[in-house]
Amino acid sequence: MRRGAWLLLTALLLGLLVASLAVGELRLSLAQIWAGLRGTDELAHTVIWNLRLPRALVAVAVGAGLAASGVVMQALFRNPLASPDLLGVSSGGALGAVIALSFGFGAENLVAVPLCALAGAFLAVALVLMLARQGAGMERLLLSGVALATLLGAGTSFVLSLHADQFRRSIAMVFWMLGGLEDRTWEHVAMAVPGVFLGCLLLLPLGRPMDLLALGEGGAQSLGVDVKRLRWKLIALSTLLTALATAVAGLIGFVGLVVPHLLRLLVGPGHRRLLPLSMLGGASFLLACDLATRFAPGELRVGVVSAVVGGPFFLWLLRRRP
Amino acid sequence: MSGLLARRLSVPGRLEDLDFELPMGCLAAVVGPNGAGKSTLLQALAGLLPCAGEVAWQGEALARIPALDRGRRLAWVPQELRAEFGFPVREVVAMGRFAHGDDDRGVEETLDRLDLQPLAARPLTRLSGGERQRAFLARALATEAPLQLWDEPLSQLDVRHQLELLELAKSLSVAGGLVLLSVHDLRVAHCMDRVLMLDRGRLAAAGTPEEVLTPARIREVFGVRARMGETLILDLP
Repeated sequence: MRRGAWLLLTALLLGLLVASLAVGELRLSLAQIWAGLRGTDELAHTVIWNLRLPRALVAVAVGAGLAASGVVMQALFRNPLASPDLLGVSSGGALGAVIALSFGFGAENLVAVPLCALAGAFLAVALVLMLARQGAGMERLLLSGVALATLLGAGTSFVLSLHADQFRRSIAMVFWMLGGLEDRTWEHVAMAVPGVFLGCLLLLPLGRPMDLLALGEGGAQSLGVDVKRLRWKLIALSTLLTALATAVAGLIGFVGLVVPHLLRLLVGPGHRRLLPLSMLGGASFLLACDLATRFAPGELRVGVVSAVVGGPFFLWLLRRRP
Repeated sequence: MSGLLARRLSVPGRLEDLDFELPMGCLAAVVGPNGAGKSTLLQALAGLLPCAGEVAWQGEALARIPALDRGRRLAWVPQELRAEFGFPVREVVAMGRFAHGDDDRGVEETLDRLDLQPLAARPLTRLSGGERQRAFLARALATEAPLQLWDEPLSQLDVRHQLELLELAKSLSVAGGLVLLSVHDLRVAHCMDRVLMLDRGRLAAAGTPEEVLTPARIREVFGVRARMGETLILDLP
């Protein structure tokens, strides 16, 4: 089952990557994709290099980052139902992005909105840590995160309501909050992929200490884990991953919750396997959701798909928990 | 050789000015009424709580022992056992080898010793309270740490596993280790080498069971009438 999971998820990811290069308004065959990648077919080359490849890479980074961040939050808060946005990262990101959009950035500037989202996300976590005075216990951290997320959400709604009479601007804000991957460029790839890759790489060796942490902080510490340091590292890395994902793709729910959960059923709770497999699984999940939006009529948002698929699936998982 | 040493050990609001020393090769009990500070004391000795005063393990100040080293020298079993994640019992026990580079040494033997082989593949989430307690005790034993602190290890065990665990604790101490456990049953404490009695955050007495568990002191601290027959006998006053 365990080796099977590796093979399955790797094959799934590769298959979905190819599919996301092939599917769209212009359908490309495998031969055309190959020609497009090498530059021998000009039309395919343009479609792949300018549109589909950056979009797929962003989806992979966002999915992997959110799923890994979910695994981290669940170990950190010793709760399998914890999600990446617990510390206010996404709400901070949303407020940052909405403020940037309200100043009219976005259409002409590809980087301003993600950068503001990134700043908002980091500021939100910094504020939560300050409010909770790190070290004073995880419960306080959690509650501070929830409280601040509510406050930031109100701020976002406020900014949104200020622009209610400007249709284009407010629709841009709403669409950003629904999460999306269309028209992602190499600028977005450059912003998200290296950071997510680095964050994931730094997380991998923390799998074993996370196992111990998941069974209690005191126990972990008595077994030789430097819990304080581990907690800092986990909070920092999970913030980085969620912030980058939010910055380039907006609010996308359920990836961080559903993917680790499903994989725990398949391979058990051990984080040395769960972490890398969740990265693969999260990337696949988001690629699949993004593919689904291309088949739907109108402008279906990837965040909507991930929630529509993730929500019922999650309820099903809950029902079958022993 | 000194095993555990506490000098003016205080935890604000919970423990006040504790002074005692326990040698290696000793099986010791902490007793005291509910809320006397037994769990707090064990956590403070394990280095899990911020506290004032001094704690030393085998002659070395606790503050100077690096995190990983602590995992090799002392094991602590909490009173409240977490089971939000379904790690199989064998993996839980193997976590005891974290500070030894996850070498899995002695894990199978430890499973045998605590009668856990039949449960080795079962997830923690599907164990009874007593089985879970044995799994966490096995994790502590797997560390092979000479200092063992167990917080109410008998509280959920059936009578056979209680006796087996006490025998195991005895054999660890005879082999040169130090086992300090908190218990409610004073008759169990009476069979130990040393007893620490706590009363509202202070050390009421420390010494051999005969010195500590006197009828007068039991009456004063617990409000229970005690007398010595062939063993210690307790009555409500």
